Amino acid sequence: MATLTLNALKKRYPNGHLTLHGIDLKVAHGELIVIVGPSGCGKSTLLRSIAGLESITEGDLWIDDTRVNDKEPAQRDIAMVFQNYALYPHMTVFDNMAYALKNRGIPKQECEQKVRETAKLLGLEELLERRPRQLSGGQRQRVAMGRAIVRSPKVFLFDEPLSNLDAALRVQMRLEIRRLLKRLGTTAIYVTHDQVEAMTLADRLVVMNGGQVEQVGAPLELYSRPATRFVARFIGSPSMNLITLEATTSPLAKHPLVRDMPAEPMEKAATLGIRPEHLRITDPLQALFRLEVEMVEPLGADTLVYGHAAGIAEQIVVRLDGIHPLEESAQLYLGAERENLHFFDVEGRRV
Amino acid sequence: MRYRRPGLDVFSHLLLILAVIAFLFPVWMALTAATHSRTDLYTSIAPLWFGSEGLHNFISVLTEPIPGVGASASTMLLNSLVMSLGIAFGKIAISMLAAYAVVFFRFPGRALCFWLIFMTLMLPVEVRIVPTYQVVADLHMLNSYPGMILPLMASATATFLFRQFFLTVPPELLEAARVDGAGPWKFLWDILLPLSKTNIAALFVIMFLYGWNQYLWPLMITTDQSWTTVVVSLKQLASASDALVPWQLVTAMALLALIPPVVVIIVMQRYFVKGLVDSEK
Amino acid sequence: MATFQHQRLTPWLLLAPQLVVVGLFFFWPAGQAIYQSLFTQDPFGLASTFSGLQNFIDVLHDPEYLAAFTVTILFTLSVAVASLCIALLLAVLADRVIKGSRFYRTLLTWPYAVAPAVAAVLWSFLFDPSLGRISHFLELVGVHWDHHINGGQALALVIIASVWVHVSYNFVFFLAGLQAIPKSLLEAAAIDAAGPWRRFWTITFPLLSPIMFFLLITNTTYAFFETFGAIDATTAGGPGGATRTLIYKIYEDGFKGLDVGHSAAQSVLLMILVAALTLVQFRYIERKAHY
Repeated sequence: MATLTLNALKKRYPNGHLTLHGIDLKVAHGELIVIVGPSGCGKSTLLRSIAGLESITEGDLWIDDTRVNDKEPAQRDIAMVFQNYALYPHMTVFDNMAYALKNRGIPKQECEQKVRETAKLLGLEELLERRPRQLSGGQRQRVAMGRAIVRSPKVFLFDEPLSNLDAALRVQMRLEIRRLLKRLGTTAIYVTHDQVEAMTLADRLVVMNGGQVEQVGAPLELYSRPATRFVARFIGSPSMNLITLEATTSPLAKHPLVRDMPAEPMEKAATLGIRPEHLRITDPLQALFRLEVEMVEPLGADTLVYGHAAGIAEQIVVRLDGIHPLEESAQLYLGAERENLHFFDVEGRRV
Repeated sequence: MRYRRPGLDVFSHLLLILAVIAFLFPVWMALTAATHSRTDLYTSIAPLWFGSEGLHNFISVLTEPIPGVGASASTMLLNSLVMSLGIAFGKIAISMLAAYAVVFFRFPGRALCFWLIFMTLMLPVEVRIVPTYQVVADLHMLNSYPGMILPLMASATATFLFRQFFLTVPPELLEAARVDGAGPWKFLWDILLPLSKTNIAALFVIMFLYGWNQYLWPLMITTDQSWTTVVVSLKQLASASDALVPWQLVTAMALLALIPPVVVIIVMQRYFVKGLVDSEK
Repeated sequence: MATFQHQRLTPWLLLAPQLVVVGLFFFWPAGQAIYQSLFTQDPFGLASTFSGLQNFIDVLHDPEYLAAFTVTILFTLSVAVASLCIALLLAVLADRVIKGSRFYRTLLTWPYAVAPAVAAVLWSFLFDPSLGRISHFLELVGVHWDHHINGGQALALVIIASVWVHVSYNFVFFLAGLQAIPKSLLEAAAIDAAGPWRRFWTITFPLLSPIMFFLLITNTTYAFFETFGAIDATTAGGPGGATRTLIYKIYEDGFKGLDVGHSAAQSVLLMILVAALTLVQFRYIERKAHY
């Protein structure tokens, strides 16, 4: 158990490129933090900086009460699970798991006992004498987990650990990781680009973009109150509809729900966001706009409808519950509840 | 291919077998000649079948000082063995360390070292043989194993091969090792070395052959007969007397000289092919 | 590439052995060769005077050097062409037959393990004027063979011995190249009604041409240097310089004749030649990497 504190953490590569623009984050004991973002947003660099695999250019990194900026990875008491597992191919599962313990000079008997305990926890007892290449993808993933767990580190670091698995296995391992981490109660940082993984695993979610933190919060908080336009689009699938408001010309801007916004924010608002699942069919009088249907995707449990509306440049996506036998070129009057409308200013910040 | 022509198949096998026989022919003739006495040999042309001497000629070259050379074949076989093993292991060791430094470390001067080492790929030892001889003489290393071995290690072929291999090692392996508390030496010993086993075996075959079959270099720097290698001594034996060449001894020596490397190549065939193809890429 | 950080001393410790060996036995001698090529030494090696490019001019005007050059070219071309052709034929055959492919590979590659000097001695026994099987046979068909006297025959003997060793080297590469050709290509050609002969020349051969080019260069360096043993052990450059190659002349002048300056000049010329060849090879490899 440990806390982790990042204080204005910056990472600049020797070629001058600034990858992390000053990250602040406090992670509590036993918390599971998921860092999510598009590729190139700096999430992996952040994780690797915490691990000590990348040097930190500026700022402080604390594990409990120790500043660890200048410590080697092995001295930070962290464990990492890599995307491609990075199992030592010439060692058995047992040796893979025992390697870090041996390097710390832990007596052989204790090593053996710890490895066996961990193997039992993960259901790896039968595989201890095998080599990585004799294992399936899921088993390798489990060994990589075991190698991290066996050391009982202060912090676990996961670098997209499930992205090499097929979809079904990914769902299963996701549940297992969550259960395991809660049982061990160890602080963990988990990097992924998969937002479902992020939403289901995280105690708190960190959304990153362009080397900066966009928002930190509980998954549902991010879903219902996205702090920026970026977070709004990134969380949720299909993505939130973002409609550019031109206060004078657009008929939408004259709609009471939009028009009756408190004056000051309304002036600043540049974008209206509505999630596809929050749009519903309503009567023409209350509708925000009339959608000309262009394409329908019946998914069974729900139906995705794509189309355009007069005065709105962007394509609109609507998610309707159940099955809707809609024709293309049909017309839908769509409305939404006031609390489901999100307004963002010109800079993309929530109003 | 499934569209076979039986006639062509028979023809292929026939030609291949012919080639196999042609390849073996000189060795066979050496083998039969080595089992004859000199007088038997010179009564007619070279015999196609074994003679009455059995292993006598082999035993004689192995135990007695060879005319024109002064040492016995066992001494020379030992010299050849030490030299080729020295070159093989020495080259593998220094090349692996150097490649490790170049691939897994960033330090000022790295690019320069890289080029200094890889420039040696351009010139084989034979080109600079005379000045190399002078250097070795200045270092008082004539007639010594280091003198025979070290100059032949001064090339980057193996370094290049190790570098190519190290570049294919997933970087996460190094990172995992760092997280697991392995420093540079531990990583080299615990992880990189075991992973390089196949490459080391392949290089070993190539370097052993290279060392064993050296001719010009050992010829130049071994002025004392007791340091001669078996490959070099063949000429001295063949041209020892102005009279008839003692072919029964020469062929026996030639066979002794070719058996060790041929055995290595056959036993380690798989590594040989890999080593040859990789090291020339 | 992931690297170790905060390590100043370790990389130098790792590099030290190789740097020392390369420095002592590569750069120093190479530098010496260039230095000496610019000086004239008296026969006892006691004094040397700077003579600029005089050594090079002497060497290039020396009829013996030019003769050695001709011998080298003739020797190299014969060895390369003969061993490449034989190896290609054998590799194609060995690739065709499914049964026994491994068996043939082993039995056709072992001569590579034989030192050129040893090979040359074995073949000179077969061609021995008084009791050699082959020379005896040649006598029967009316060719008198004595490579101790006849320069052309001496050259032929070293060529044969060198080819015998080197066929196996080329064979390994050709076979590897042939086995790397996707069978689907040949099957497509077969469906397009190309016979085996046409298939070989229109599909297989063009696909092998990169290997061919590469082997041409390695065969050249092989014929340049590694065949020294074959020549020295049997003909010793003779008779009458008929088998004196460039490398053999360097050895003779520098080591036996103690003519350091001229030998060094020859070394430098050879270095330039080989370096040029190697550069061509590197460029070619670079180009290949783009495919």
